[in-house]
Amino acid sequence: MSGHESEPRRPDLTIVSEETPPPSEANDALVIGSAIIAALAGVGFAVALALGTSLAVYGSALAIGLLALGFGVRRYFSDLFPDIEAVEPRHPEPDASEEAVSAIEPLERRSLLRNALIGAGGILGLGIVGSTVPSLGPAPGDTLTRTAWRRGTRLVTTDGEPIRADNVASGGVATVWPEGAIDNEISAVILVRVGDVGFAPPTNLDWVVNGELVAYSKVCTHAGCPVGLFREQDNALFCPCHQSTFDAVRGAIPTFGPTARALPQLPLGTNAEGFLIALGDFKELVGPAYG
Amino acid sequence: MTPLFAKLFDQLDERLHVRGDARKAANKVFPSNWSFLLGEVALFSLVILVLTGTFLTFFYSPNVEAVTYTGTNPVFAGRSLPAAFESIVRLSSDINGGLLFRRLHRGASHLFIATIVLHMLRILLTGAFRKPREINYFVGIGLLTLAFGAGFTGYSLPYDSLAGTGIRIAYTELLSLPLIGDRIAFWIFGGAFPTGDVIPRFFVLHVMILPAALIGTVGLHLFIIYRQKHTQFPRLGVDGHRLVLGKPLWPLQFAESATLFLWTAGLLAAAAVLIPWSDVTLLGPYVPGEVGNNAQPDWFLFWLEGALRIFPPIEFGVPGGMIISGPFVAGVVLPGLIFAFLGIYPFIEKRRYKLEGEWHVLQNPLEIPLRAGVMLGVFSALLILSAAATNDILSRMLGIPIEVITWIARVAVIVVPVVLGLGIARYARRRLDRKGRDVPTSEVEEQQRYIAA
Repeated sequence: MSGHESEPRRPDLTIVSEETPPPSEANDALVIGSAIIAALAGVGFAVALALGTSLAVYGSALAIGLLALGFGVRRYFSDLFPDIEAVEPRHPEPDASEEAVSAIEPLERRSLLRNALIGAGGILGLGIVGSTVPSLGPAPGDTLTRTAWRRGTRLVTTDGEPIRADNVASGGVATVWPEGAIDNEISAVILVRVGDVGFAPPTNLDWVVNGELVAYSKVCTHAGCPVGLFREQDNALFCPCHQSTFDAVRGAIPTFGPTARALPQLPLGTNAEGFLIALGDFKELVGPAYG
Repeated sequence: MTPLFAKLFDQLDERLHVRGDARKAANKVFPSNWSFLLGEVALFSLVILVLTGTFLTFFYSPNVEAVTYTGTNPVFAGRSLPAAFESIVRLSSDINGGLLFRRLHRGASHLFIATIVLHMLRILLTGAFRKPREINYFVGIGLLTLAFGAGFTGYSLPYDSLAGTGIRIAYTELLSLPLIGDRIAFWIFGGAFPTGDVIPRFFVLHVMILPAALIGTVGLHLFIIYRQKHTQFPRLGVDGHRLVLGKPLWPLQFAESATLFLWTAGLLAAAAVLIPWSDVTLLGPYVPGEVGNNAQPDWFLFWLEGALRIFPPIEFGVPGGMIISGPFVAGVVLPGLIFAFLGIYPFIEKRRYKLEGEWHVLQNPLEIPLRAGVMLGVFSALLILSAAATNDILSRMLGIPIEVITWIARVAVIVVPVVLGLGIARYARRRLDRKGRDVPTSEVEEQQRYIAA
């Protein structure tokens, strides 16, 4: 904008207040100074990155460069242009020649044709969407109600080792899987060996081994997180996500937190070689409620 | 203007005849206030997200098959990891500048959502949602929703142990939809959790669909602001209803925005040096059946997480085969109600005070008792829910049993918002009475006070 002092700089702008900054050598120095810093920081960033130095070095160079450049831009503009406050009307006069699109009137005809087209468009669209969406995933079938546990399936650790009934530490828990289905999320089980506390109902005592080993689904009945923590002093199973708490000696009924349902108990037994096995699949729904 | 730029512009003008429009745009007036910069920072964060995200996309592998990591990171060297997690470790440890770009992206995502939320708070408190800006208010709610979606999918992609747990909870929320939940969950996940499809699908959402929707919706948001002109705070002697007062786009607003962009980027770079955002080596890869303590989502979902934690244990069947569960009420119904309420609030206020005509001048929320009460009530409830998302950490830090903390949160989330909301509404009413004023029903009437002064 090459302004001549005699005529207004911006005739088409309604200026309310204008403050022209006096020429300032100090400001020139600030602009040049920040430009030099930004350029040096740019070089520093490139070199530090190319040399494979640490993030602290090249990250700092980038930060300094951007901040310095921002400062320079600010000083540059505030020196070069007057500080203006201007007004605009909020509502320009409406153009009288403008007429609404809806004013383009069709001839008088029956509305059946229009409705037929709209209806056909809707049916076509629904048909396309309605037939495509189901392709996105299989039908649930029994995948949510059946796990990989079968009668006779051995319990194995995450490393695939089968477990002997006498090999579980007292007061301890272990994550176990059906043999051949390690990492099958819905089949995760937590094996608990409680100390010398008796089990109480609703624990199914037929599924307790040696009077001290019990197995529950590890999938929380609230939101499906792994119920991974065990508090020995009160035999509580605890979910780290939303703090649902279950009583391991009373059929894993919920004692606190947002869940309403006990962890299903795995029918647990031993085979002839003394390894822990399942006596069948869970009898209740594993994991969160659905539908 | 420099001669080169002027020459180029003349060439363009000869072909497109943009001289008049460009001049009009340059003279466009922008009211200025620090709080008007929040949305701008959100916009610049989005630009930085797209730039850094493009770099990340060149290295990320959207796949959960196990691969062996052979790079230099000592924690994972030689270990078998899900490909997605492995690619993030490789990017962070073995690609020059990779960690910087990851942290810039992460930092920018936090700043993006934080400034959107603060911007929305400003809109709600000062009444910028009133006629004629209702449409842009809805567009803004849409942007917040898209930003949440981008934030959640981005949080999931590294497939670390927290990401896998977060995806599991999202899957549970879908399952919890009555009647059709299992179908919908299977359509989105491609089967039962954890399928191999979920990471590639979240990847497509995160790098293509959500960014495209965000950029398009931001464009619409800006176009509407440009058409309607910005709101402004009241000023003595100025009829803000008829006039907009501020800085012209060129050069002052441009200079301010350019500075703000550079400073936003600079501060994010500084944050990338100082804050170890999302250090995947601390978390380890997602392994089914395993999760550690301190399982929290990103801060912007704390309110939902808190609701899930403190909601009472309910689960009951409804005749017709539906099951209503806690995760459904706390994780689907509650956020639905909050968003729906925010959506209809402009109309509640309009009805309550019989508001007429257009509104362009912002208000002190204490001038409108209903708004002061509702906003303090809603946002204090959201803050208490957010605090409840850290009940396990609070319990450990304060030495108070988690049961006690949870019960305090359960009571507080009902009582505190009601007390605060009614209290501030009453205070605002008294304040108006003391000044001998009532809530104005039209801005023309309201502006008389400022013009007369």
